[in-house]
Amino acid sequence: MPRLPRLLRTLAALLVAASPLLAQNKIAVDEKLTPYVKSADGVSGSVKSIGSDTMNNLMTLWQQGFKEHYPNVVLEVEGKGSSTAPPALVAGTASFGPMSRPMKDKELAEFEKVHGYKPVGLNAAIDMLAVYVHKDNPIRSLTLQQVDAIFSKSRNGGLDKDIVTWGDLGLTGEWASKPIALYGRNSASGTYGYFKEHALFGGDFKDSVSEQAGSSSVVQSVATDKFAMGYSGIGYITADVRAVPLAEKAGAEPIAATPENAYSGEYPLARFLLVYVNHKPGSQLDPLRREFVRYMFSRDGQLVVVKDGYYPVPARVASQALKSVGLEASKQPL
Amino acid sequence: MNELSTPPLAPQPDRTQPARTVRRRNRRRATSLFAHGEPMVWLTGGALGLCLVMITGLLGLVLSRGLPTFWPVPVLELTTHSGERIGGEVALVEAFRPEPEASSEGAPAARPELEERRMLRTGNYDLTGVHFRWVPEREVASERAPEWILTIERLEWGRFFGTPTALDCDGVRTEGEPAQVWQAFEAAHRAARETWRERRAIETNDIGAAAKIKEQARLAIRDAQLRYGARSSEAEAVRQQMTTRVAQADAELARAGEQVERLKALNTGRTITLTTVDGVQSVIALDQIVRAFPANRLSWSDKLGVYASRVREFLFDEPRESNSEGGVFPAIFGTVLMTLIMSILVVPFGVLAALYLREYARPGPLVSAVRIAINNLAGVPSIVFGVFGVGFFCYWIGAGIDELFFAAKLPSPTYGKGGLLWAALTLALLTLPVVIVPTEEALAAVPRSMREGSYACGATKWQTIWRIVLPRAMPGIMTGMILALARGAGEVAPLMLVGASKLAAELPLDGTFPYLHPERSFMHLGFHIYDLGFQSQNSEAAKPMVYTTTLLLIALVVVLNLIAIWVRARLRRRFQGAQL
Repeated sequence: MPRLPRLLRTLAALLVAASPLLAQNKIAVDEKLTPYVKSADGVSGSVKSIGSDTMNNLMTLWQQGFKEHYPNVVLEVEGKGSSTAPPALVAGTASFGPMSRPMKDKELAEFEKVHGYKPVGLNAAIDMLAVYVHKDNPIRSLTLQQVDAIFSKSRNGGLDKDIVTWGDLGLTGEWASKPIALYGRNSASGTYGYFKEHALFGGDFKDSVSEQAGSSSVVQSVATDKFAMGYSGIGYITADVRAVPLAEKAGAEPIAATPENAYSGEYPLARFLLVYVNHKPGSQLDPLRREFVRYMFSRDGQLVVVKDGYYPVPARVASQALKSVGLEASKQPL
Repeated sequence: MNELSTPPLAPQPDRTQPARTVRRRNRRRATSLFAHGEPMVWLTGGALGLCLVMITGLLGLVLSRGLPTFWPVPVLELTTHSGERIGGEVALVEAFRPEPEASSEGAPAARPELEERRMLRTGNYDLTGVHFRWVPEREVASERAPEWILTIERLEWGRFFGTPTALDCDGVRTEGEPAQVWQAFEAAHRAARETWRERRAIETNDIGAAAKIKEQARLAIRDAQLRYGARSSEAEAVRQQMTTRVAQADAELARAGEQVERLKALNTGRTITLTTVDGVQSVIALDQIVRAFPANRLSWSDKLGVYASRVREFLFDEPRESNSEGGVFPAIFGTVLMTLIMSILVVPFGVLAALYLREYARPGPLVSAVRIAINNLAGVPSIVFGVFGVGFFCYWIGAGIDELFFAAKLPSPTYGKGGLLWAALTLALLTLPVVIVPTEEALAAVPRSMREGSYACGATKWQTIWRIVLPRAMPGIMTGMILALARGAGEVAPLMLVGASKLAAELPLDGTFPYLHPERSFMHLGFHIYDLGFQSQNSEAAKPMVYTTTLLLIALVVVLNLIAIWVRARLRRRFQGAQL
């Protein structure tokens, strides 16, 4: 970690002392987002979310935060992969469907066939897919084409040679002859789909990629295997692994997985984490879901995003999301 | 083992009568290892030994990793050569070989020596964005254990490490020496937590009840609208009727809300100011602090106290921070309740089925086929039961129930999703063969003479079964139940589909009518372990919790089994008394 200049540090300390809301000096929530204001009419009932396991913790933290405001609300989270969200929304078994990738056309059509309208996807947080290596791995950066050649057997990225060992990536010494152990997610996961689409250019994964049941287990596998590489959400990073900076193509500047690069759009594998809701166009959400959505896009809700290691959405995105379900962002406080 | 090996080992000197050839053969057999039975003794003994080693190894691992989780450890302050100061608990120490190019400047690229590094739990996530950090030994210039650094466990954002500099409580500011601040802290903290707990109680009880009334009113109106039409006079009547109840609930909500605000305001002035090792000041509200202690000043008894307090929190509190902290009480509760309901469902069914198979059915190919099917059912992977459960119970029966009785709540499902009842039913199916097979065996073991005696006295078939056969088969039936309990409590895969959830905010059994809520999702220890191990964001902190939770699950299964064994022993005693 670079040492902050003394002045900056003091400033940060002052800010921290001034307001617990600004306690994060690493990733800050958009100033324009307003704190959550409790609805005047008490909200009760049960909220159930089924979907992405990348967002499992996020949904849980949101629900726990929401419960602070409405202690009586019954909340349940189930996260077994993004692909479980659309069927649950179609069947009506879940009120929210968190997904780490946008719904596919087929899933949208399926929903439309039953309900007559499309579900609304809310961009609730920003995630970056990081390519992780062991903390002792000396590799400096990778291009997306290299990532493709490492993980994919179709090599749609255009590299003509398969990459199997660390030596193929230019590492020397004991690394040169060691094969790269690959870890990834299982196919129900949105992370899997997104990585396939954007890092493998739609190609197929190699059979040697070991599919893990959770985002955290990918990171843990990489942490215990010195010669491993894996992909997972940035929120799951630990001290045992390192996220490799990625370059769009050979010769381009490698972009580190930092919040600035996610917001600027430079990091090639940044994505929105979505929460899908069954909202009939023109209708009102029931009070419970309405308040939950308002909470998610409040300052408090986005602070939870930071807590879980993801990046909060800017106020503009938040108000768009609220508008898409017929809500308005609460007014700017004085 | 001795008993097994002695007879063949001892040659029998008395038998000298048979012919020479026979004797020679005998001698040959007696000298062969197999005749001694020794290899078999070694093989069987070895197999047993291996089993024991594996079991004790597993238990040892779980115990050695699970028990120290809650033990308080000292907090170190490391200063690196670049002047950076890092504070935290040492979580791990490992040897590593640094990379040549990363380490040496100009030095020849020889294979570097092994070095040590420590992983510090640095905490202060809100300030730094990391929970843990590796520090190579060579970068450390000096280290010390600051006397007054506090380990603070917070409701949110994980742990905080810092030295107290000031404390504000109800307008009084205590500043200066950490010792003074700490002294003031203890009393103020207790008060703040008391207020916080009071607030919590109001929130869950008073506000919860009022809000539930409102929700019921809303549902009643919706129900009436669905039944009689949106603009009908009946719906209007229900609406009128509900308005007064809603008004009452609103008044109650407002009153409770005011109280909550008052308690909140009371706690806003109670804060502690701390300085981290790198000089950043941070203010923490006292009611957000679960526990704080000066880690480097603790005596043995203090440490034991912290340990006990953490264990208590683990067993009796709700989880926090998406389950990576706090307790597992809802999971313990859910596991026990689900297992009990499952056994209540499965035992009568299993026993009835076994009774028919053994006592009434005429033996033949059909019965054999059924028996084979039951035995095979035990071999079906449990996830298949889960898939069946979710398809049949949740999506079919459950959805049907919802449409009939809970139409007002749709599209949010009541029974048409995973829940306690469906989970218990699915596991009941899963454990059905485990109950049927031992029960059948127990029934078969009842001596024929007893039944005949009963018939001879003029008893009917059912009277014989009820009075003579079943009591004697009871211990066997209990064995089946014990096996089913153990199997059911440890099963996770099907539960993931039919109702176990990461976070179930409400217990499936509580004080509101109808007390048992079979439609609610529940937390399960097995699922909790899976979730902690593979899903948690702060996986380093969650890992020790995995072992602790595993330990707890094992203990729970043992306790459930012990209870069942005790019941069986009592039954057996009673039965033996009757026999004499």
